[in-house]
Amino acid sequence: MMHLPRIYERGLKDSFPQTIKQEGQVAFASLTKTFPITILMYIVLFSMVTCLSTCYCLIDDGENEKHCGPLKQWFESTSVSVEIGKKGFHREVVTTVELSPDVVAEVNVLLIYRWPRGVYLDPYQLAAESDQRDWQILLNSDIDLEVPAHKTSGFVTYVYPTLDGPSPRLLKVTIPIHGRYSEPSFIGKTFTSVNIEPPELLLRTEKCMQLNNLDPHNVMDAPCTADNSSTCSWVKIQCQQEHAPVSFQFPVGDRTLVMPVCGGTLLVTVICCVALSKYMWKHHI
Amino acid sequence: MERLILKLTEKHVLYTTSFAIRLALVAYGDYQDRTMAVKYTDIDYHVFTDAARFITEGQSPYNRSTYRYTPLLAWLLTPNIYLSMVFGKILFIVCDVLSGLLIYRILCLRGLGSERSLVTARRVSSLWLLNPLPMGVSSRGNAESVMAALVLGTLLCLEGRCLMRASILYGLSVHMKIYPVTYALPIALSLRTPETRAENTERWQWRRFIRFIGSFLNTELFLFASVAGGVFCMLTALFYYMYGWQFLYETYLYHLTRRDIRHNFSPYFYMLYLTADGAWSQWLGLAAFLPQLILLLVASWAFHPDLAFSCFLHTAIFVSFNKVCTSQYFLWYLCLLPVVIPHLSLSLNQGVGLLLLWFAGQVILFFVLHLNTTSDMHRIIAHYKLHRD
Repeated sequence: MMHLPRIYERGLKDSFPQTIKQEGQVAFASLTKTFPITILMYIVLFSMVTCLSTCYCLIDDGENEKHCGPLKQWFESTSVSVEIGKKGFHREVVTTVELSPDVVAEVNVLLIYRWPRGVYLDPYQLAAESDQRDWQILLNSDIDLEVPAHKTSGFVTYVYPTLDGPSPRLLKVTIPIHGRYSEPSFIGKTFTSVNIEPPELLLRTEKCMQLNNLDPHNVMDAPCTADNSSTCSWVKIQCQQEHAPVSFQFPVGDRTLVMPVCGGTLLVTVICCVALSKYMWKHHI
Repeated sequence: MERLILKLTEKHVLYTTSFAIRLALVAYGDYQDRTMAVKYTDIDYHVFTDAARFITEGQSPYNRSTYRYTPLLAWLLTPNIYLSMVFGKILFIVCDVLSGLLIYRILCLRGLGSERSLVTARRVSSLWLLNPLPMGVSSRGNAESVMAALVLGTLLCLEGRCLMRASILYGLSVHMKIYPVTYALPIALSLRTPETRAENTERWQWRRFIRFIGSFLNTELFLFASVAGGVFCMLTALFYYMYGWQFLYETYLYHLTRRDIRHNFSPYFYMLYLTADGAWSQWLGLAAFLPQLILLLVASWAFHPDLAFSCFLHTAIFVSFNKVCTSQYFLWYLCLLPVVIPHLSLSLNQGVGLLLLWFAGQVILFFVLHLNTTSDMHRIIAHYKLHRD
């Protein structure tokens, strides 16, 4: 704020008309002297503000780099493998996730399973056994428990394992699955194969929110927790070792035998019907 | 051995022992469910309980998928939610022991009521009360014993000519499961006005036919039909009002049109599985229904004077020639077998031989369905578990 020169105060005592021109000249001279200084002050102020904000960004990036930097190393040493347990139509898919030893406890893990149409999960069984497990599951659609495989499609589940201990390293998730009946084979095969792909592994941590520069890993959105109340950004891990899908077999019928089976069944039932009717009529009360 | 059987079949000992064994099985089942991977409790019990839970929340029991029974059963099991999960099993084992008592009372009315025959009646009813199959089925949580009690109650009331009670129980049993509707024909034949000797010797066929039709028009049959029909319609209307079309479909229509392509004990299962999506599927279904219908009609006519035997034959034919047959269905005719045994002229050897033949048929079918070339026992056990589920 410009202060008016004291000469204006002095000018009140002098005669008015003659001194105004002199006073104006003095004022103009003062202005020309102070204006550059003012401009300079603003330039310095602006530079200081710019500098401070840049420094702040650098500090923030530094913090981010501190938490997000190790993430890349965690990802390199993470692996997912799948095994099938039990036999018959009721099986178990055992997924083993090996995390890096340096991973912090605040990391969240998400496994996305893309199930084929040949199997299903029983949501009632999962709900009944939920207190015996340390993982939660979110299903993306209603599951029909009785429809045969060729009349339905695959579905997706989101599994959220709970990490135990300060330094979680190995996660094991066992999911009970059930085989669907498949349509009979036209070419005389007696078994059909069902392939289970290893799940996609996604990680996120509260401490690293700037998810960029994490090639070759992608960032994708998925529900934050099993209650599906919000969506978060997750990092999808590209495992170095791509594990092959596991497969198992279910028996199927042989449609090439339809004529002998139908003929034989109807013949036997008709013979039994005739024989029983004859016997009952003969021995009626 | 003889003394042991005599001791076990004393009146109070028999019922107490049979109830205690069932209770012990329920307790063991609870222990196995909590500690072992293979569960004792049947999956159906969980379906009933889930449906009851929906009812306690004010919703339809049919929100539970695969619940295909009357809402009455879910309503009966609501104490499973309010009191304890084990309530339903206790109810089923009580109905099971009650069925044994009803068998005993029916036997007493069918000629084993004299002092000397009471022991025989108790021994025969112990074929149900001390039989491991109904024990296992009830303690696992299947509701078949409720049906057995209703059917035996109907039969007892009919044998004792208490038609009002018989008709109420019959209407209730048809509402709970459809299969007792097949008893309508032998019941009608037994309640109709009997022919006199003079009418029997009439030569004119059309006159005999008219008299035959006319014999169905009597007060007793009319009373039975109207009360049973009234009870059934009243219950159906009530639950239709509460739960709508889904109740009708899941409780009745599903069972009438059921084409279960998953393996079961029916002789038609593989044929229906191979032709499930074919053009001939409907015609084959009809072809499978005809032997069942013909045999039911012949059995009704041939044995209607002995109502219990007629009902037993009806149920055995219905189950054996049905398009779907699971292991629970066997209890439908097993509960009527002790009632007819004293009047069979089979010798003990013949009876045991037939029983072994029945078991052998089950085992052979099981192995033929599940055995592959390498005889994998694990797969057999897994398939057995699938069937049991």
